[in-house]
Amino acid sequence: MVKPTHVTNSIRALRFAHGEMTQADLADRVGVTRQTIIAIEQGKYSPSLEMAFQIARAFNVRLDEVFQYPDEQ
Amino acid sequence: MAFLEKSNWVVLVVAVVTLVTYGGTIVGQVLSEPVAEIGWVQPMIYSIVGFVVLNVVGNVIAAATNPKEADKSDQRDKEINAYGERVGNYLVIAGAIVALALTMVAADRFWIGNAIYFAGILGAMGSSVTKIAAYHGPFQKW
Repeated sequence: MVKPTHVTNSIRALRFAHGEMTQADLADRVGVTRQTIIAIEQGKYSPSLEMAFQIARAFNVRLDEVFQYPDEQ
Repeated sequence: MAFLEKSNWVVLVVAVVTLVTYGGTIVGQVLSEPVAEIGWVQPMIYSIVGFVVLNVVGNVIAAATNPKEADKSDQRDKEINAYGERVGNYLVIAGAIVALALTMVAADRFWIGNAIYFAGILGAMGSSVTKIAAYHGPFQKW
C-alpha cells in the first residue's frame, strides 16, 4: 500500500518554464492542497488520472510531457 | 503542514496524554489491590470526555492558526484518511476480540472495560500515526 511510485514527472521544470509558477499557484489551478503538489513533485504520491490531466492542462501541455513511466532496467 | 496532518497530530498527542493520565491513575491500583475493588469507571469517563473535549479544542486551535487551509482537503487527504482509518479499525477489532474472549472466560468487568478502552485509544493512535507517516513518506493508493 505505502510504496514509492515509479512515475516520474517534470512538474518542477514546467513550473519554472511557466513564469516560475509557485507550488501554491499550481495547487490553486488544480484544486488541491500545496502539500499534494509537493508530494507529487517529489515522487511521493501518484495522482489519479483525472488529477494528472488537470495538472497537464494547467501547463497547457500533453500528459506525457508532465508524467513519465520509465522502462524498468 | 496540511490541516488534516495537524489534526492527526492533535489526535495523537491527546491520545498519549489521555492514555498516560488514565494509566497513571489505574496501574498503581492494579498492582496493589484486587481489580474488583478498583474505582475505574469514573476515571475512564473523565478520560473519554477529556479525549473528546481536548480533540475539539486542539482542532479549533489548529484551524485558527491557518483558517484558509482548515476547510481544504483533496483526493490525497481522503486516500490517506481512509488508509489510516482502516489501520485504526483493525486495532479496534483486535481489542474487541480480546474483550469478547475476556467475556467468554468470565473475567472481571474491569478487564473487559479496559480492553475496550485501550482498543479505542490504541486505534486512534494507530490511525493517526499511520496518517502522519503517509503524509511524510511515499504514499499511493495502488
